[in-house]
Amino acid sequence: MKFLIDSILYSYAQIFFSNRRWFGLTALAATFVSPVLGLFGLAGALISNLSAVALKYDRTKIRSGFYGFNSILVSISVAYFFEVTPFIILLAFIFILVTFFISSTLEHLFAEVLNLPGLSLPFVLTLFIFLIFITNYDSINYRGFTFQSYEIFSALPEFLISYFRAFGLILLQPDIISGMLLAAGILFYSRILFVNSLVSFSLNYIFLHLLFSSPTEEILILTSFNAIVASFALGGALIIVSKKTIPLLVIATLFIIIFTGAMLKFLDFFYLPVLVLPFNMVVLFTIYSLKFRQEQSDLVLLYFKPGSPEENFYYHSNRKSRFDKFKYLFPELPFFGEWKVSQGIDGEITHKDDWKYAWDFVITGDDENEYSGDGNHKEDYYCFNTPVVAPLDGEVVKIIDNVPDNKVGEANLNENWGNTIIIDHDKGLFSSLSHLKQDSIKVKKGDRVSKGEKIGLCGNSGRSPSPHLHFQFQLTDKLGDKTYEFPFSHYLVKRDDKYEVMSFDYPKEDDLVRNIETHKILKKAYKFQLGDKFEIEYQLNGKTAKENWEVKVDIHNNIFIENDKKSVAFLYPREKMFYISNFIGDKKSALYYFYLSSISVPLGYTDGLEWTDKFLTYLTTNNFIRYFSEFFLLAGEQIESNAKLSLSYKENSEREFIINSEITNCGNGIFSFYKEKANSQMLIDSNGSIKEFSFSSKKNTFRGINKSKEKQ
Amino acid sequence: MDKKRYERPVIIKQYSGLMNKFGSSPVTKPMTEIDGIPIRRMVDEYGSPLFVFSEKKIRENYRKMYRLFKTRYPKVQFSWSYKTNYMNAVCSVFHQEGALAEVVSGYEYDRARRLGVEGRNIIFNGPDKNTASLERAIKESAKIHIDHFDELFEIIELTEKMNADVDVAIRVNMDTGIYPKWDRFGFNYENGEAMDAIKRIIKNPRLHLTGLHTHIGTYIMSADPYRVAASKLVNLANEIYKQYNIVLDYIDMGGGIPSNNTLKGQYLQAEQILPSLEDFADAITSPMFDLEMPHDELPTLYLENGRSLIDDAGYLISSVIANKRLSDGKRAVIIDAGVNYLFTSHWFNHKIVPGQQSGEFTENSAVYGPLCMNIDCLRENIVIPSFKKGDLVVILYVGAYSVTQWMQFITLRPNVIMVMEDGETELIRENENIEYINSLEKVPEILKNFSL
Repeated sequence: MKFLIDSILYSYAQIFFSNRRWFGLTALAATFVSPVLGLFGLAGALISNLSAVALKYDRTKIRSGFYGFNSILVSISVAYFFEVTPFIILLAFIFILVTFFISSTLEHLFAEVLNLPGLSLPFVLTLFIFLIFITNYDSINYRGFTFQSYEIFSALPEFLISYFRAFGLILLQPDIISGMLLAAGILFYSRILFVNSLVSFSLNYIFLHLLFSSPTEEILILTSFNAIVASFALGGALIIVSKKTIPLLVIATLFIIIFTGAMLKFLDFFYLPVLVLPFNMVVLFTIYSLKFRQEQSDLVLLYFKPGSPEENFYYHSNRKSRFDKFKYLFPELPFFGEWKVSQGIDGEITHKDDWKYAWDFVITGDDENEYSGDGNHKEDYYCFNTPVVAPLDGEVVKIIDNVPDNKVGEANLNENWGNTIIIDHDKGLFSSLSHLKQDSIKVKKGDRVSKGEKIGLCGNSGRSPSPHLHFQFQLTDKLGDKTYEFPFSHYLVKRDDKYEVMSFDYPKEDDLVRNIETHKILKKAYKFQLGDKFEIEYQLNGKTAKENWEVKVDIHNNIFIENDKKSVAFLYPREKMFYISNFIGDKKSALYYFYLSSISVPLGYTDGLEWTDKFLTYLTTNNFIRYFSEFFLLAGEQIESNAKLSLSYKENSEREFIINSEITNCGNGIFSFYKEKANSQMLIDSNGSIKEFSFSSKKNTFRGINKSKEKQ
Repeated sequence: MDKKRYERPVIIKQYSGLMNKFGSSPVTKPMTEIDGIPIRRMVDEYGSPLFVFSEKKIRENYRKMYRLFKTRYPKVQFSWSYKTNYMNAVCSVFHQEGALAEVVSGYEYDRARRLGVEGRNIIFNGPDKNTASLERAIKESAKIHIDHFDELFEIIELTEKMNADVDVAIRVNMDTGIYPKWDRFGFNYENGEAMDAIKRIIKNPRLHLTGLHTHIGTYIMSADPYRVAASKLVNLANEIYKQYNIVLDYIDMGGGIPSNNTLKGQYLQAEQILPSLEDFADAITSPMFDLEMPHDELPTLYLENGRSLIDDAGYLISSVIANKRLSDGKRAVIIDAGVNYLFTSHWFNHKIVPGQQSGEFTENSAVYGPLCMNIDCLRENIVIPSFKKGDLVVILYVGAYSVTQWMQFITLRPNVIMVMEDGETELIRENENIEYINSLEKVPEILKNFSL
């Protein structure tokens, strides 16, 4: 029963691109302003969802309202256009079934062939069939198209009345009260959509008056309601809202007017109404055409399971700032221990023009010198004779090993690159390591090497007046080819005795850098394998409860933890870092606090390890300021949720780790007055399992203890 | 201008003929300060003789050595060899730098624990661990390095009695081509004893084999034996990996890297003949790359360097008591620090330098300590300038084994101070007094009265 109610409510919500039950209920209520229309709509939702259940369609899809929303529209419009008689009711029932099949066919066809949503095209098509079919009966005629007028609202400006009427027409309600209810619902559901509806309505109003000297109210409302629904789709629901949304809405509104004008004339031949056809055409054309851009960096089409437009925005912006810079390969620094970048990208000495994306590395001592003694001998240099390792797995494709090492101060300009290894990393990326020590290369051409494997020794051959390692990425196996801009995946930079974790970044000149060496305990603690189960006992604001987690994998091979309330935390485990990429579900669950205390974790330990990350704003803030700020999301993220994390040993213990996160929610621009802080902590025990995690903010305190038996 | 220093005349033999091809005779540079603190001021404040340790030098040595290894092998952990110098302040500097504690007796174990080192950060070596301290080590999850089968059996018994699990490693001895062969510690590699011990440990459910340990000797003057030793341990680790799929936590290569002290009977100065630390690091780390486990599961390389980290961070300042002319005409200097403080002078020719500016004329002399014993000779022959009574000398490279092997004999032991990085001097061990020594003694009642 709950399933059926859910499916009905979601069906209503779907019409507005919403996935909230309460919004579905609002829409349902709005249809019952005219009870007959309401009953027809409800019957439509009920019959098509029941048919889907009976025919055993995918239950999650049924629940989401996928099979219901077109039927609602069809059945409402039957009651809207015709006098309700038993015969019409019978016809309506038949056509609901027709809608169900047409919509399930079309939606799937669109999804499979064009990778597009079917929108309400099935509704339009079925209704047209119905309207043409009904002409077989001479006795049945169209009903008039009149809006209910109310005395009390006559004081409202005409502009607003049209706005609410247009809203009402989305659900074929000839009633301003339905429109008001729906507009209020949209305001609560999504500030973005609400702003969009105002913007597109106004644009439409202006353009219509510019293009036609005196448009009729019928045309105004018809275009407005199409423009509003189109703005929902293009300005938040199917495309992520951004600064470019406004120009898109301008274009879309113009198109809507043109399509409406054209369709009005065209469909007139067949005595058919235009309805939402312009919306469907404009949205489908726009989205399909946007797919063919070379760069998809703005006006981003939804690439994940949609939430509300705000959630889509936050998710996208979070993902962008956290993972956008990630590449398809994860190279690491080609040495052990701590080295200094003596010449970086665009370096003064030799890293210029075509060769600018290169690094020179040396080792420095406490006194910041590169050598001990007088530095007149290559052996005095700390880096001389130290191992050089492969930055990534690959095949050795070129080796030069016979260039003698220079005396300090001399440079061999004939054999510029000196002893060099070039490795092919299989995906079109090559790396080249130069100035190695003569005869120190232990691998052969054609050998497979793995990341971190020792391949030679740092030397002083080629154009190298003092020992150093030259490293560059390139796109061919040519010696001394032009460099290619490619970052190192995860490494540490020393800053004032602290080590900062860098991700997919470029070491800068004078940086002291090193790789993350994985620590057994951390690696084990954050290794989540399919089927791992956890039992968490927790206290949230004084109340004690228990929760079970299980590690699962979905069809896209995403690994996630699911708790018994079906909340999920998506994991993104990498070799040197562990990430939680997203959390969906109950914010009172222990899993949510796990997200807050382990958003990202390096799997190695060094004294003074620090890093930053970003939470999904809607997961960490839930207050009026955030809701209000969402009116301005068009202009960019107004409230950010940043985390500053650090890893340390637990006091008096060399085996237990603590991860501290300082969480700061703060506003930008006009919201810069807003600032809220919270703290979370994760304790990893010496057996390599999560022992305890806690969180405290002004509102909430949480403490969870892992009660599960040690995992295998 | 200061008054010119008086120096008594010296008679030097006049050589005629060709000029000395080695140039002029050696001039020893005086050492008037340690880390910027005048030694005279230290003596005025803390008395003479005086042991001085330099915090800066210790840290420098540690960091240099750590960097050498860390840039040659990805996972490196040092542990401080307590017996080399277990003065609390010294150990603390090493622990601050990140070193674990390597102890070889119950007493050293207790010292480390009292200093605040957790059991799991202590490596427990040595042939005599006695039952009580083994029990404590098991309880506190120390890393026990088993030396012989009797110890292994005792640990097995103890874990059963205590119902406890324990992480252990074994010490392995082997032929690395040097003399003396240190085969008295641990299990032998060549005759298969080591593998026997490993099998017994692996078969026991309470014992977890986490490491292999060797320590091939002390003051090893060539890097090659380390290469041999590392290869043999690596072979053993690979064998364990292949046969039992056990990835060891660590491979402990011990210590034994020499300092710049010159051995008696060594013709050239140590500085001139010893391999560089880089050579040792290369020799120890290169065989590690033959380990066959996946790269990110490689065992950590443990090192227990002692002497090479502390020797040149320790100084002994001493005052001249008297000058003498021996029967054969050789000059002798008596100073107030003797072999009771410098046990190490039995095998090292410690370098002794003047503590103040002195003249350019030097003379071959003997340096004696203050004890009324014939053995109290620090240097039989050393070319030094002439001293006056009360002049200071500094004995170099005395950081290792001095303040652990010194004894209270004839005189009491002096103050030990540390020159801190910020330029302050801190007393780290007070000089002994007669109450302290007497407090341990008991005189039977019947012996208490006597009249002379």
